[in-house]
Amino acid sequence: MAAPPPPPPQWVLDLNSPPAPKSKNSGIPDPPGFTGTSSGSKASFTALTATPFPNSAVRAPPTTREMDVLKLKKAWEVALAPVKQLPMTAIMMYMSGNSLQIFSIMMVVMAFKNPVVGLMATQQAFERFETEGTRPKLVLVKAVYVAMQILALALGVWKVNGMGLLPTTRSDWLAWETARDPLEVAIPAF
Amino acid sequence: MRLPITVLTLALSLLPSSHAIFADEAYSVDYQHELLGLPQPQTTFFHRPRKDDKATLLYTLSDLGVLGAVHPGTGKVVWRQLLAGEAGEYNASSKGFLRPVEGESTVVSAVGGRVDSWDAMSGRERWGNLFAGTIKDLEVMETTSGDVKDILALYDEDGKGVLRLLKGESGNVKWEYHGEITDVPLQVSTNVEKIFVIALHGTTGAYNLKITELDPVTGKQISEHTLRSLSDVHSPEDVLLVGANSAAPIVAWTDKDFKNLKVNILGRSASITSLPLAEADGPITKVEIHAPHLIQSLPHFLVHSHSATSNRADVYHINPASGTIAKEYELPKLSGKGAISVSSQAANVYFTRLTEDECIVVSSASHGILGRWPMRFTGKDGALLHGASEVVQRTGDTYAVRSAVLTSNDDWLLIRNGAVDWTRPEGLSGAVAAAWAEIPESENLAKTLEAEAHSNPLSAYIHRVNRHAHDLQYLPAYLQALPKRLLTSIIGSGTASQSGVLARDSFGFNKLVIVATVRGRVYGLNAGNQGFVLWSSKAFDIPSNEKWDVKGIWVEQSKGIATIKGSKGESVTVHVVTGNVLETVAPGSDFIQSTVVVETPSGALFLPISLDGNLDEVPVDQAPKDNLVVQGKDGEIKGLKFDTKGPGASPVVLWTFQSGPGEKILNVVSRPPHDPVASIGKVLGDRTVLYKYLNPNVVLVTAVSEESSYVAFYLIDSVSGDVLYSVTHEGVDIQQPITSVLTENWLAYSLWSDILVTEATLPGSKGYQIIVSELFESAVPNDRGPLGPTVNSSSIEPSDIPNAEPALPYVISQTFLIPEAISHMSVSQTRQGITTRQLVCTLAGSNAIVGIPRHILDARRPVGRAPTPAEMEEGLIQYHPVIEFDPKMALTHKREVIGIKDVIATPAVLESTSLLFAYGIDVFGTRVAPSAAFDILGKSFNRLSLVATVLALWIGVFVLAPMTKRKQINERWATQ
Repeated sequence: MAAPPPPPPQWVLDLNSPPAPKSKNSGIPDPPGFTGTSSGSKASFTALTATPFPNSAVRAPPTTREMDVLKLKKAWEVALAPVKQLPMTAIMMYMSGNSLQIFSIMMVVMAFKNPVVGLMATQQAFERFETEGTRPKLVLVKAVYVAMQILALALGVWKVNGMGLLPTTRSDWLAWETARDPLEVAIPAF
Repeated sequence: MRLPITVLTLALSLLPSSHAIFADEAYSVDYQHELLGLPQPQTTFFHRPRKDDKATLLYTLSDLGVLGAVHPGTGKVVWRQLLAGEAGEYNASSKGFLRPVEGESTVVSAVGGRVDSWDAMSGRERWGNLFAGTIKDLEVMETTSGDVKDILALYDEDGKGVLRLLKGESGNVKWEYHGEITDVPLQVSTNVEKIFVIALHGTTGAYNLKITELDPVTGKQISEHTLRSLSDVHSPEDVLLVGANSAAPIVAWTDKDFKNLKVNILGRSASITSLPLAEADGPITKVEIHAPHLIQSLPHFLVHSHSATSNRADVYHINPASGTIAKEYELPKLSGKGAISVSSQAANVYFTRLTEDECIVVSSASHGILGRWPMRFTGKDGALLHGASEVVQRTGDTYAVRSAVLTSNDDWLLIRNGAVDWTRPEGLSGAVAAAWAEIPESENLAKTLEAEAHSNPLSAYIHRVNRHAHDLQYLPAYLQALPKRLLTSIIGSGTASQSGVLARDSFGFNKLVIVATVRGRVYGLNAGNQGFVLWSSKAFDIPSNEKWDVKGIWVEQSKGIATIKGSKGESVTVHVVTGNVLETVAPGSDFIQSTVVVETPSGALFLPISLDGNLDEVPVDQAPKDNLVVQGKDGEIKGLKFDTKGPGASPVVLWTFQSGPGEKILNVVSRPPHDPVASIGKVLGDRTVLYKYLNPNVVLVTAVSEESSYVAFYLIDSVSGDVLYSVTHEGVDIQQPITSVLTENWLAYSLWSDILVTEATLPGSKGYQIIVSELFESAVPNDRGPLGPTVNSSSIEPSDIPNAEPALPYVISQTFLIPEAISHMSVSQTRQGITTRQLVCTLAGSNAIVGIPRHILDARRPVGRAPTPAEMEEGLIQYHPVIEFDPKMALTHKREVIGIKDVIATPAVLESTSLLFAYGIDVFGTRVAPSAAFDILGKSFNRLSLVATVLALWIGVFVLAPMTKRKQINERWATQ
């Protein structure tokens, strides 16, 4: 018969029962538009921006439909984000020249890495906007996102081509071409 | 496998090509045998180049017409002059003469029609004079006054003797004496008071000696008399000696059976003294007379008689007052061959006798031996043929002697007091053919591996384990040698070839060169060890007035033997490492024009080709598989194919190429047998490809027209006989050297031409030119020409269309002016052909060999404008009409190589490097890296600092690692 376990140490108790958060109703009213029920800052932020009537003291929580519209709008922003960097990237690539230098090499590496990573993370990028309602509409958004990433990739390919690294010319395949085998051999004897 | 090659090719084209030899590589990668040729007995002597200095130099005029001064102490050449150079081939029968001017710093030479006076110290020419006719004799006119001594030159001018006295300071003629047209001028002699012209008088085959006495001041004839020698003298060679510059010059000859020696003292009377020749061990075969050449020397002479097995000598004194000759003493008979030479010091005359056992010096006055030294010979030095000696009287009665002796092995030795001081391999001079040979690999391992490959896997495995277990016994020795190897590789002095063992090295620099010379000797040189002479063998006895005309050397690398074929069908087979003669075929009756190695069903064969360009009928199993291209009797080019008929196969002429009317085919060249091409196209700046025309079956024919002074070049397909390309150059001096080379997809040739100014063409030019033509499949980039992408090509049926025209190359040519004549061209060879080729040109005028980089000789260099960026990317530079032979191009750097006939190249294992070997009179070898030595560390690479850096980093890591560790732990645990 084992002895009863010793009482847990104080720190275990502290850990299990954290002190109660400070009382919100300490005489200071909540700022307008603050909903005391929400706890996550992200949710509060979403709620804040999504509030159609910011002036109303007490706001009704947004409906699911409203949330879907908002999420879709956000998803469009994410989908079009890569294309916004493109002009900048293109100018930098143009300026960096076609010679093989550390700067242009890094540019090229980034120009390939970012779209590829973006493509791989397509699902993760839109995960948070995915709901029952947005799912059918998100397909189009994703397609646009993929197209934009491919556009960014194309810029990288353009750059690599400019640097002469793409085997597009005849000289790149010269090594695999062989001289013709002569069918007859004549040995010179003089 | 193909990709790295192209990448490498691209990278190579970006590398700066090496223009020059690095200072630390000169004299280490190249080697030279500075040769003179065999010294001749009458033209070899010691002479003081400075009057008031006792030091002497050894002078000689060799059988190849090279005049040289050799330092007697070291055996090094002080200076050389090639006298036979410009007059063309030196003929051994056209004798040269060389005389010292006693008491002056001058030696006088005469070859052909030329007389030259040289500064004995520096080798610079004092004066030269050219006369009609050929020189017959040359003497220095001794004077009693202190003036510059004059020169007597006897010429044979259209069968008439002409004697000229040339002024010593300028070479101008003081007077001339013309002899009679019926006489054969022989020699000239003088005793200060009178000049004697000795001529052969009579009919061919039986001559009397006619002696004409002349007055030295005016050149007028004083008297003349005839000596009866009708039965004894049949040709000029029968007169043994005409002494000169003596108080009592003599003329001597023997009777037919060598029984008596007949002597006449010149200027005395017509009386002939007959001196008996004593036999020694059988009949006498040769008699030589040695007499001093100084006017103040005692009038003594020595008669040296040889028999087949021994030799002896008699010394005679001449009494100038009474004109009688008396025998003084004799040197006893000694077996074997010996050489006697005479040297004089003021009045004293010394005879030096060299035999295989000892060296003795006697004075002419008495038989007492002044010095005797045992000869220390190694036994392989050969018999002593002739020599020149210098006797020095030390304090009291001690003497020292040094003799420069030629041996029967064609070596020139300096023997000082019986010991060999130095040896010069003069027989190596006059090389006519050479070939590269690999050092045979250890045969045992090759055989074992082959055996293992053929047995069943289990027994092969057991055999291999056993073999490796057996190899373990060498492990301790290997481990012992390991530190030393490491050390040498770090310090960088590791040259494997110095160890004396003949083995291949990993870089492929250790190769052998087989050299055949005009005198019928074969030499083996080690190219990896500074051209060291490994062996020499006598292949054939070639008479001194003939030359061994070698037509081909075939080296069978797998067997380690080399076969050398001569023009009369004679051949000799030698082992490449030892030089042992394995087989000799005596000369036949038919002459051959060339040789060829062909593949037959029964293995490779070395076939001779007769003068008319035909081959004999051979059995079917010995019929060559491939076609042959030969030159016919009149120089026409023929294509032959062996046609099987019953048991034999006989050659059938497929095509004949005859040059145009009035043209003579001068030369035919083909691509080298080893001519790999790494990239089949040339990548242009815009990344398009110009495809090279790479037909292996092409020959370049040079035809000249003597009447119209033009030269035509024809590029012929050697299978079909089609002319692929031809070009004609007008206004060419065909007496100047015209050389050509054909390799890869380009050809180059050089000539002298004088292009007249016409309105139609560019401004005229006059001078030596080099013309480069590049052949491409099509003028359009990215186009493979008429044949398209076909894998095979046939010259006979170029396409499916019957009787189609052959695919002609697109040719781009460019002409450059060069400062001097190129006497021979060849091209460097590398293992895979990735490295760009270098044109190796021999310049006979400046005794040098230059390597012209390929990018200078590019036919696509833009003319009259700066290259565009795309062209610059290709490495093209703007065309400039003149290529200067920059001294940095000279592969021979400071060396002077004379008489180079041919340069042969072979690839090393390293792709960057090609081995070159030049031969002729001199022998020179070097390594070239036309695209810089990209695959080997240079000598300047500091291995020590590399090792030191690695060690320092290591130590740094060892010291810093614990410190960092402690710091990181402290960061986490230490309380502030």
